[in-house]
Amino acid sequence: MDLTRRTVLGAALAVAATRPGRAAQNVMRIGLGTSPTRLDPMMTTNGDEYIYDNLVFNGLTRMRADLSVVPDLAQSWSYSEDLKHWTFPLRHGVLFHNGREMVADDVVAFFQRLLDPKNSAPSSSNYAMIETVTAPDPYTVVFDLSFPYGGFADILSDRQVKIVPRDLVGQLSAHPIGTGPFAFVSYTPGDRMVLAKNPHYFEPGLPKLDGVELRIIPEMSVKIAALEAGDLDIVWDIPLDQVKPLGGHANLRVESVPTASWDAAIMNNQTAPFNDVRVRRAFNIGVDRRDIVELTLFGQGVPTISPIPPTHPFYATDITLGAADPDGARKLLAEAGHPEGITVPIIVPVGRPVRERLGVTLQQLLKPAGFDLQVQRVPFSSYDAEVSGKAPLYIDGYFARPTIDTSCYPFLHSKGSWNSRLWHYSNPDVNRALDAARLSGDPAKQKVQYIAMQHGVYDDPPGLFAYAVNFACAYAKTVQGVQTHPMRWFDLTHATLA
Amino acid sequence: MLLFVARRLLAAVGVVWAMSVLIFAIVHILPGNVAYAILGEYATPTAVAALEDKLGLNAPLWLQYWHWLSGVLHGDFGLSLSMDRPAGPVIMDALGRSAILAGIAFVLVAALGIGLGVYAATHKGQASDRALAFAQFLFIAVPDFFTGLLAILLFAAWLHWLPATGYVPIAEAGLREWLAHLVLPVAVLTLGLTAHVSRLTRSSMLEVLESRYILAARAKGLPERLVLRRHALPNALPPTITILAIDAGILIGGIVVVETVFAYPGLGRLLVFAIEHRDLPMLQAGILIVTAIYAVANLVADIAYALLNPRIRYATGVA
Repeated sequence: MDLTRRTVLGAALAVAATRPGRAAQNVMRIGLGTSPTRLDPMMTTNGDEYIYDNLVFNGLTRMRADLSVVPDLAQSWSYSEDLKHWTFPLRHGVLFHNGREMVADDVVAFFQRLLDPKNSAPSSSNYAMIETVTAPDPYTVVFDLSFPYGGFADILSDRQVKIVPRDLVGQLSAHPIGTGPFAFVSYTPGDRMVLAKNPHYFEPGLPKLDGVELRIIPEMSVKIAALEAGDLDIVWDIPLDQVKPLGGHANLRVESVPTASWDAAIMNNQTAPFNDVRVRRAFNIGVDRRDIVELTLFGQGVPTISPIPPTHPFYATDITLGAADPDGARKLLAEAGHPEGITVPIIVPVGRPVRERLGVTLQQLLKPAGFDLQVQRVPFSSYDAEVSGKAPLYIDGYFARPTIDTSCYPFLHSKGSWNSRLWHYSNPDVNRALDAARLSGDPAKQKVQYIAMQHGVYDDPPGLFAYAVNFACAYAKTVQGVQTHPMRWFDLTHATLA
Repeated sequence: MLLFVARRLLAAVGVVWAMSVLIFAIVHILPGNVAYAILGEYATPTAVAALEDKLGLNAPLWLQYWHWLSGVLHGDFGLSLSMDRPAGPVIMDALGRSAILAGIAFVLVAALGIGLGVYAATHKGQASDRALAFAQFLFIAVPDFFTGLLAILLFAAWLHWLPATGYVPIAEAGLREWLAHLVLPVAVLTLGLTAHVSRLTRSSMLEVLESRYILAARAKGLPERLVLRRHALPNALPPTITILAIDAGILIGGIVVVETVFAYPGLGRLLVFAIEHRDLPMLQAGILIVTAIYAVANLVADIAYALLNPRIRYATGVA
C-alpha cells in the first residue's frame, strides 16, 4: 500500500476502512477452481481433490517434485527376484488425526476395500495385479502380485491409495481422518475446505504452517485479484496464457514446470479415413509440433512422441520431431487414395479451453497438408457418452500418472483399459515392448523397451500426441518452501509464510 | 381471503410437483450421468456399469422417481450422489447463506427502487431525473459479472478496502468481517435490480400522476405529500410488487453470476454444481426450494395487491 495513493483518497477514510494485509495466523490460502466432491481419498478423481489427498493423508510411498519415489508410511521396501513378492516395513508410532496408531491392518484393510468391486473405486484397475495383501506383524505389509510388476512401489505413491483408519471408513465422506501433515477441520462446498496442522505428524518439526485453507473461486480473474489483494497466497493451475503477463507483477512469483500431462488428436483406428496408417502419418508430418506449442500453449509446453515427456530419461532422443512437411503429407494422402486431400470433422471439448485451442490450431496448421478439418464444439461433459472411442477425430488429453507404465500401457497396449475408449490402436511391436518393460525391474532394460515403444508409435501413430503440457501456479512473494509439483499437487510440509 | 390463500397454496404445491417431474426427466435426457461425473477420467465402461448398479441407476425410471418422492414426503431429500452425503443439510446451508445475501439486497432494492422511482417521477424532466435515468440505464445494460469484476479490482485488489471474495460465518469472524464480505456482492446485486425497479416505479407513477383522481385530489387542496402517499403510490405500486416478487425468487436461486464472481457459496452455484455432476437428489431438493420460494413470493405479491387495492380484494373475496 503506497502512501501517496492513501493521501489522495483521503487519509481518514482509508485508515478507517483499510483491511490488514493478511490475517495474523500462519495459514496458507490456496485458490482452486472447482469444489471437491468426494472426501474419501479412494474416490477422488480430479486435480483439485488430489491436492487435499496429499495434505491430509499419506501413502506407503511418496513422489517428490523431482519425480523420485521415496518411503512415506513405509520405512523402505524390498522385492523378490521375480518382482511378484513385495515387502513394506512400516514406520512405528505414526498416529492418525484421532490419536490412534496406524498399523499394518489399516493398510491391508485399505487395499481390500480398494480391490472390492462392490466399492467401484475409480483407480482399482491400476492395482489389479495385487493377488493378496497380508500383515505378518503390525509393522509389516506384504503384497503378492499375480504378475511381475517392476513399478509397484511407484504406483503406491499415487493419489487415491492413501491409508485411512480401518474402523472409521464410514465417516470418511463427512469427517475424513488420515495421518497427513494437516487434519481435516471443515468443508463448505463452493466456499472452502479448512485444514489444521497435525501436531502429531511423524516428521519432527513439521509442518511449519498452522493450517491450510483451500478456497474455491471459480473465476480466474477473481483469483488473481484475490492474490493481489492478499486474500490468497497461492493460485493453483493458472491458465498458460497468464504465465508471461503475471510474471511481470512485482509482488507475485509465477512458476511453470513441465509435466507428463498430454493432449492429443485422437483418431479412430477402426474406421475410415484414419484406419489407414498413411493418413495418420500424414497428419503427424504435416504439422510442426513447435508451432502447436507456441499457438496452443503460448510456449508453455514441449513437443512429445508418446505420453513419455522429453524431461523423462526414457524419452527417445534419437527421434527428431522435425519441421512441417506438407508435400510429404499430401503424397501420403494421395497414396492412401485421397489425392484431393481429406475433409473430416474434428470435435473439440467445450469447457477445456486449451484443448479447444489445440483443435483450432490443428485446423489452421494442417490446411497446407491437405486436411480440411471442420471444428465441432461438444461440451466436455458429453464426451464420455458421445465422443470417446466413437468419433473419427477429436481432441482430448490426460493428466500425468506416477509411472511410465501407468502412463503408457493403458493407452497404447491393445489390451489397455483406455485404448478402447480412445483410438482402438493395435501394434504388435508396441504391445511387445510394453509387456517386456512391465516384466523388468531394471530401469536400464525398461528404457530399451520404452524407446522401442516410442519408435513403434512414431512409425505407426495412433493419433497425434501434440505436446507434454506445463503446469503453472502463481505465488505471493511471502510464500517459501513450496515446489511446483509436476503431478499438480502440493507438498506443504516445509512451506512457510514470511 | 382465506379461501383465496388456500387455493393459491394448493396451486403452488402443484407447480412444485410438476417441476420435480420436469427436472427428473431433463436430467435423464442429458447425455452422461452421475456415474461418469463421479469417475471422471477413470470412467471405463466396467467401472461405470458397476457404479450405476451401486447407485441404483439401473432401476426403472418410475421406480427411481417413486423412491425419491416417498423420501421427500418423509422429509428425506436423499443422499447427494456426487458428494456421498445427505443432500438436505448441504442445500439448507447454502440456502441460509443465499437468504442473507437475498434478504439484505431485497430490502435495499425495494426501498431504493421505490424511493428513487417516486423521486424521478416527481422531478420529471429535471436534471436529477435525467442523471438518474442515465445511471439506471447504465446498470441495466452493464452485466453483473462486469460490475462485479470491476468492483473486486477496485475495492479489493487496488484499494484493499474489502475482501475480494467468499463468505465468513458471523460466529467465526465477527460482525465486521461478515459485513465486509457481503458489501460487494450486495452492492452489485442492488445496483442492477434497483435500476429495473426504479425505472418501472417511475413510469407507473407518472401514469398515475396524470390521472383524473390525482387532479381531483390536488384540486381539493390536499398537500402534495398526501396526494403522493394516499392516492398516487398505492395505485402505482402493483407492477412494482410483481417485479419485486420475481426478484425475490431470482435473488434466492438465480444469482449464479454474482455468486460465481464473488465465490459466494450460495444456492445458485450449488444448483449449477448439481447440474454439472448430474446429481439428481441435490438438484431436485434445490429446485424444490427455489420453486417454493417463487410460489410463496407470488402469493405474497397477490395478497399485497389485495391489501393495496380494494377492488381486487372484493373481487377475490367473492370468488
